[in-house]
This record gives sequence, C-alpha cells and structure tokens, in this order.
Amino acid sequence: MSTSVISAHQKPQAKPAGQGAIELRQVRKSYGDVVAVDQLDLTVQPGEFVTLLGPSGSGKTTTMMMVAGFEDHTSGSVLIDGKPVDTLPPRDRNLGVVFQNYALFPHMSALENVEFALRMRKVPRTERRQRAVDALDRVGLGKMGDRKPRQLSGGQQQRVALARALVFNPAALLLDEPMAALDKRLREQMQEEIKTLQKSLGISVLFVTHDQDEAMAMSDRIVVMRDGKIVQSGAPDDVYNHPLTDWVASFLGDTNLIPCTVVERTGDEAVVDLGGLGRARVRDRGAQGENYAVSIRPEHLKFSSAAVAGNGCAAKLVTSTNLGATVRHRLTAGGHDLQLRELSSDSAARFAPEGEVWVRWDADKAQLLVLES
Amino acid sequence: MKTTSPKHRLVALLSLPIFLFLVIPTAIVVPVALNDSRYITFPPEGLSFAAVAGFFADKAWTSALTASLQSAGIAVVIGVLLGATAAIGMHGRKFTGQPAVVGLILAPMIVPTVVLALAFYQFFIAIGMVGSILPIGLAHAVIATPYVYLTTRASLAGLNPALVRSAQSLGAGPLSVLRHVYLPIMLPGLISGALFAFSVSIDETVMSLFMQSPAATTLPVKMFTDIQFNLTPKIAVSSALLVSVATFGLLLQVMFVLRRRSTARMLPMAAPAQT
Repeated sequence: MSTSVISAHQKPQAKPAGQGAIELRQVRKSYGDVVAVDQLDLTVQPGEFVTLLGPSGSGKTTTMMMVAGFEDHTSGSVLIDGKPVDTLPPRDRNLGVVFQNYALFPHMSALENVEFALRMRKVPRTERRQRAVDALDRVGLGKMGDRKPRQLSGGQQQRVALARALVFNPAALLLDEPMAALDKRLREQMQEEIKTLQKSLGISVLFVTHDQDEAMAMSDRIVVMRDGKIVQSGAPDDVYNHPLTDWVASFLGDTNLIPCTVVERTGDEAVVDLGGLGRARVRDRGAQGENYAVSIRPEHLKFSSAAVAGNGCAAKLVTSTNLGATVRHRLTAGGHDLQLRELSSDSAARFAPEGEVWVRWDADKAQLLVLES
Repeated sequence: MKTTSPKHRLVALLSLPIFLFLVIPTAIVVPVALNDSRYITFPPEGLSFAAVAGFFADKAWTSALTASLQSAGIAVVIGVLLGATAAIGMHGRKFTGQPAVVGLILAPMIVPTVVLALAFYQFFIAIGMVGSILPIGLAHAVIATPYVYLTTRASLAGLNPALVRSAQSLGAGPLSVLRHVYLPIMLPGLISGALFAFSVSIDETVMSLFMQSPAATTLPVKMFTDIQFNLTPKIAVSSALLVSVATFGLLLQVMFVLRRRSTARMLPMAAPAQT
C-alpha cells in the first residue's frame, strides 16, 4: 500500500478566475498586550507552495487564520489576487482550508462532505454530484463516497478533506498542520501525494507546520516564524544550509555551532577565528549581531585521512552510534563537542573509540550566523 | 450479557427493593383508575373502564387536559427556542459576565416555585394578561428553558469548533451553519430537552394554581381542587394518564438512544486499517 493513489496525470481542473496570489501587508494581530503576529509581510505567488514553519506560539496558525478570515487582524491588510479581503467573511474568500483534524462533517458521507461547498454555491444537483465524484476520484477514494468519516482511516479522512477543499476550485489552498494526526509512514506518503496534486493543479498553497522535515519535503519556500515575526525565508535547502541565526539552524535540524570571532568579511565569504580550532573560511550572509558562530550540519562534517589546513581540525572520537541508515559520531575538538553523521554504508569500523581523527568540511557548507541565545 | 456472577446477583438483589419503592407508588394509580367502584379504593374490586369513559365524557376534565397540553406546547416551543439559542450562542465562547448569564438561565431551577408563582402572578396581573392559558404556558417556558439549555449544551460539548469554520470556509452562511453543523449534533439534546420541557409543564402545579381561571385550569390544578372537594376515580384516571404520558416519553427517549447506539455499533470505527 505504499504506491501513490493520487494520480498526477489526470486532467487539471479549470483554473479559477484569479491566479491565487496571497499577500499580507504589515499584518499585525494583538490580544490586549500580547502581540501574536507582528507587522508581517508575506507574499504567496500564484502556484507557489509556501510553508509557515515555527514552534507553537510563533503566530503561524494565527497568520493562516487571518488569511482564511477566521481571525480579524488588528492592523494591516490581506489581499487575494490583489484585492483586499479584510472585510470579507470566510465564506466569500474562496479559499480551500484543510484543518488539523480534518473537521469532516460526521453525519455526512464522504461524498456529501465533498459536495457541501457546491451545495452552498447552489450548483445543480447532477453537476455537483459529478464534480464531487471526480474530486474523490482524484484523491483515490472514488469507491468510498458512501462511507461516513468515522468509517474511514486517518489517511482517507485526510484525502476527503483535501477533495472537499479543492472541489470548488478555490483561489488557494490553506493547510493547517494537516498531517499532525497521521503516523510517520502515512505522513510521508501524504506529503508526496499532496505535493504531486498541488503541482498538477498549479494551485497556490499556504501550509502551516511545526515539523521541519515536512516543510523541507514539500515547500517551494519556507518562512520560518518566531514570536510573531518572520526570522528567515527562502528555498528549503537555502534555509537549511544557510541559516541566519543559531535559532533557525537548530530549529531546522541538528547542527554543530562553534562560537567564533569574525576576522574579515568579503561579501559572500568571511574568515573567522574558531578559537581552539584555528581559522576557517566560511559562507557569509551578512547577518549582523553581537556574537557570531559557525554552523556546520553533522552530515557536512567528514572524516579526513590527513590534516587539512583551514577547514578542518584534529578531533577525538568519543562515541559512535549506529542509527540504522546513518551513524552518529560524537567528537571533541578544541574544547568543542561536535557531531558527525555519515551513511552507515560509508562507515567502517575505522576508528578506535578515544582515537585521534581528522575532520574537515567544505567552506560553502559552513555558515556564519548570529548567536541569539 | 452475563448476569450470573455473584457480584451481579448481589447488585440485582440490592436494587430490587429500591426499584419497587420507586415504581409501586406511581404504578398503583393504574389499577385504581381501572377499578370497578364509584370511589377511590385499594385493592381494586374488579376491572372496569367506566371511570376512564367518565373522565373523557366530563367536559371539566377534558378541558383541563387540553389546557395542560396547550401550556406544555407553549413551554416546549419557547423553551426549545430560548434554551437552544442560549446554548448555541455560548458554545465555545468566553465573555465577561458569562457565569452570570448562565446563572440567570438556570435560576428558575433553583428559585422555589412558589416564589416564581407569586412573581408571575403579580406580573401578569400588572400587565393585564389573565384568564387564558398563555401566561401559564409562558411561566412554564421559563422553568423549561434551563432543561433545554443544559441538554443542548451537553450535546454541543462534542462539537468540534473547527466544523463551524470548515463550513464557513466552504461557503456556508449563518443559517447553513446552523442547519448543517449545529442541528445534527445537538438534535439528541434538543429532543430530550423538549421532553423535559413537556414533562415539567405537564407536572407543574403551583404556578398553574396561582394563575388559574375558569378558562385556564390545567390537569394538576383540577386534580388538586377535586381531591379537596370531590374525591372520584377520575383523579386516578388523570394520574394514570400522566404516568402513561411520562412513561411513553421515557420509552421514546430510550428508543432514540438505543437506535443511535445500534447504528453506531453497526458502523464500527475505521474498518480498513490501511489506506
């Protein structure tokens, strides 16, 4: 059951009148003294898959709810296809929303759930039935139309919710942690299916999640949020490999943070002093702050057979742990704890515990960033 | 079902006297009503429907029955409207003064009926609304509302607030949300609330007594006055009638609950494990 049931090569639906651009201008939301979203500027281009990624309380869900119209913003403006929608109630915004627990109507069958939006739009009975069946077919549930939500598994409910949100050709799709309730395997499968479906329909998506793997796997662009503000935004690998702050680096995955002092900055690159590890040439994005560090992802550290000048150092192996697909080595070097991760297939029992080793890294995989904490 | 274990037998043994104590005094009116006698006697001397026929032939009694049904009708309609509206309006919301509002809705359950009766009596006299069943029905609606509110609120507790939002995002206006989201979920609570409202009104005596008039004498009031001056088996007949109505209502509710349970059992959770 691991094959994708959402077919990508079905005829894409007719595009809605608008192109599906979402724009937030200086949007702010406060509850009394508490600022949930702070002067947010954000644009989702037509057909773009944008993920709001952040921990709970970062304002990502509030932001989405303001786009959907369920929350009023305190100031600023939300535009869909260039038109302000600030005073439009949710039902007139023409956005497909998939909620965290799907929020399917429990007393309606899957087909009736999908039909609902068309019924509200007074689409004639036969036409809406046909369109609902088509939408269910598109998510691979053509034969499940008669079932009630409680007779469907989590993944099937998720698909019904998706079909329901897409059946009326919305301007854009808003997904609020839609896979939080699924187990890991099903979640990965659904990620791929949603991505495929989104591409084939060419629909804009605003996606909210706290799961960085999910954001990496699906997004055209990740917008990292913290305390109601955008801290960094960019393509997934760009944000992952070139975080601006230690907080972003750690939120997006494991990393080695080595405090440093900047010696020289030359546009894209900088020379830094890593204390006990000597000097190194690293990537620089021009982030400004009080204290700096260099971030190197564990998988970007490599064992080296010999000493490397510049981007490398001598280290002492502390432990090696086999995690299945990968092996995690813990090292100490120049007073720092380092983590090195490599594929188990590349890893042989080359080193004795407590052994002296050499490690190196590529200059463009070491990122200069600002230490916030 | 297994009922043979010693534990179950003990529970049954202990429950039986309590059950009998609860049921016998109520059920005893039925044989008395069907007694072949011109007076209220027990044990019954023979089976006869004369008293029942006499009850329905006596205009004073049938109009009392009609008055009771009318006031119950008013109480149910208004009680359901007010109670359900309050439950929907406060569902998933928190606002300043909410406990006070809830307290106000529930107050008629707590305030002694005789106090309410006096208050309503004076109020309806003051606005000149006397001599009809309407003030009695309205007063009954006030004491019926908290029941409807409580049962509807309990039903709505299971409503996922995201359902309302998803309906809105799919294009539903307020009325469609009410019809397609709230109504199906609160229907069981609404029905039992309506049954409560009905039985509260049918049973209510004190307020009806205060506001009675020749044109508006409810069944309990008629019984009450007849017991004092004119003790006939018709009183037992009307009692038996009230007991039957209550039993019927209860059975209706039990059937409703059982039907829902059995449909739930026939459609078990997520039959297919995989997608």
